Amino acid sequence: MAPEAIDDPPADLRTIPLPCSVDENVFARIYEENCGLLVSLAVRKFQVPTVDAEALAHEVFLSYLRHAGEVRDLHHWLIGAICNASRYYWRKHGRNVEQLDTDIAAERPDPRSRNVLFDLPDSIALDEVLERMPPRWAQILRLRYLDGYSIKEIAEQQGVTSKYMQKLVGKCLHRAQEIFNGMRARKDQ
Amino acid sequence: MTHSDDVEHLAECSACRQRFAANVVPFDPAARRGREREFTSVAGRLERERDESSDVVARYLRDTPTDEWSRLAEMPDLRNNAALEQMSEEVRRRLHRNPREALAIANLSASIAESLAPSQYPSVVLAQLRGTAWKDRSSTLRYLARYDEALEAAERGEEALAPFASLEHDRAVIRMVKGMILAQQEQFEDAHQILSECRRVFRELGETKRYIQAGMAEANMLYREGRYNDSSELLQDLLHDAISADDLEAQARIHNNLGHSASQLGDFASANIHFSEAVAKFTDLGFVAEVPRTAFGAGVLLIGKGQITAGLARLREARQEFTAAGMVDEAGLCALRIVETLIERGEDTAARQLTQDVIDEFTAAGLDARAITAISRLRDAIEVDDATAETVRTVHAFVRDIGTSTAT
Repeated sequence: MAPEAIDDPPADLRTIPLPCSVDENVFARIYEENCGLLVSLAVRKFQVPTVDAEALAHEVFLSYLRHAGEVRDLHHWLIGAICNASRYYWRKHGRNVEQLDTDIAAERPDPRSRNVLFDLPDSIALDEVLERMPPRWAQILRLRYLDGYSIKEIAEQQGVTSKYMQKLVGKCLHRAQEIFNGMRARKDQ
Repeated sequence: MTHSDDVEHLAECSACRQRFAANVVPFDPAARRGREREFTSVAGRLERERDESSDVVARYLRDTPTDEWSRLAEMPDLRNNAALEQMSEEVRRRLHRNPREALAIANLSASIAESLAPSQYPSVVLAQLRGTAWKDRSSTLRYLARYDEALEAAERGEEALAPFASLEHDRAVIRMVKGMILAQQEQFEDAHQILSECRRVFRELGETKRYIQAGMAEANMLYREGRYNDSSELLQDLLHDAISADDLEAQARIHNNLGHSASQLGDFASANIHFSEAVAKFTDLGFVAEVPRTAFGAGVLLIGKGQITAGLARLREARQEFTAAGMVDEAGLCALRIVETLIERGEDTAARQLTQDVIDEFTAAGLDARAITAISRLRDAIEVDDATAETVRTVHAFVRDIGTSTAT
């Protein structure tokens, strides 16, 4: 294989200056339009504490300045950057899991769901099911079926459309059923 | 919808972005305004520096003897972000043709970045400057095959960035270089892990070009490990990305590498298609040197795999292109590869004639007399039936080394 074809450091690792004279209003607008989104992503999707999330989002904006000339899609980049920053934040804080990656997070129960149904007659089974679910999914089921929130209310709280939330609740139920069936099969053996 | 799909959707849908951001986080308005002011003022400052410093680095480098470049670290007008960006660009330009100069500039850049006053920029920007400077040093040391030092420099860069969660983009750029170094040191497992992670980060940031570059480095590593199927599979995926991104150069390089993988897997029909695609795309791009180099690499590989006729055809095509591009020395080296094969096949008359052609071309171009003498001796040996393929290889290596030493 011609090593020169792929083994060189990428030719465009350089930082490309911004294409035109700076207009500080443009940057102010970028900040205003996206700050809330970035903080929300860090808080909602990764459960980063609000104060830290705001600091992370601010750092993402500052780091953007040296990449501005090479970023093709601002929203894509900002969202990717805050997601990566949130993951790094948790790595540094000793939680080496992707908070909402369903496969990985399923292995790590949400501590808040541990005793939520302690007093209910089916608490053990229900608790076990919720513990085996991704934290966000467990929370959605709790909100819907234990706290009595409507699909619309949960969708608003989670920042997604009602249609998507409806689909997500269906998925959560399906997953809960699978977990419950698996638990019952093990007990029967 | 998976988590990543969800995020992907947010990047594309402004209504969902607004909905997602609404009524979640109560901001402290004063703190937020303060941050916004800091952001816009840093943006303005970086841009003003860029405006005021146009080509300042090129001027200083031009007007200062190379062995005194390290002293430039004291120059006040080089001690800012814009000058450091220009230095990074100068390193990149020199990497292929003069890695020693590139290293001197990377050292200068690291020295400046490490000694900037903490108050000059926000700490996250300072960390980026230091990270980039160490990355440049690492890249150039890798080019000079000083792998341990290159690795050390990459790790210094990582250290500079470590306190900042938000610098995953910068971290991935440094770690991509680190991954390449580890691959060259044949630490394939670590390299694989790093390069895959870099690809994930670049993908998430929508950085298609770097995503492809990290992927190609990974595919190259798999190739070197002898995992030709895995390499080919990854390259096929990357080809789709390169086509979607309309990145013709990446497509050409991927086709070239797919050709090599296919040859190793014995699929010569597919190899020929990929090599032809690579040549066609390099031609479209006007990369006059890459066209014959691709054909040359393909020819050598095919002959090595026993595909003599196809291989010779590629070598002849390469020789013609080298000649057309005025690259007489490369055309001559290519001809010697053909001569080697002709002698192995017992076609001494053709071999002798081709050797004479090379002598004539080298003489007309005024190339190094030692090379011409060596090739003349080869011609004479062929004449008296005393030349073997090994003789040609020796002459080839000698002529190539003369070219290399003359070039530096």
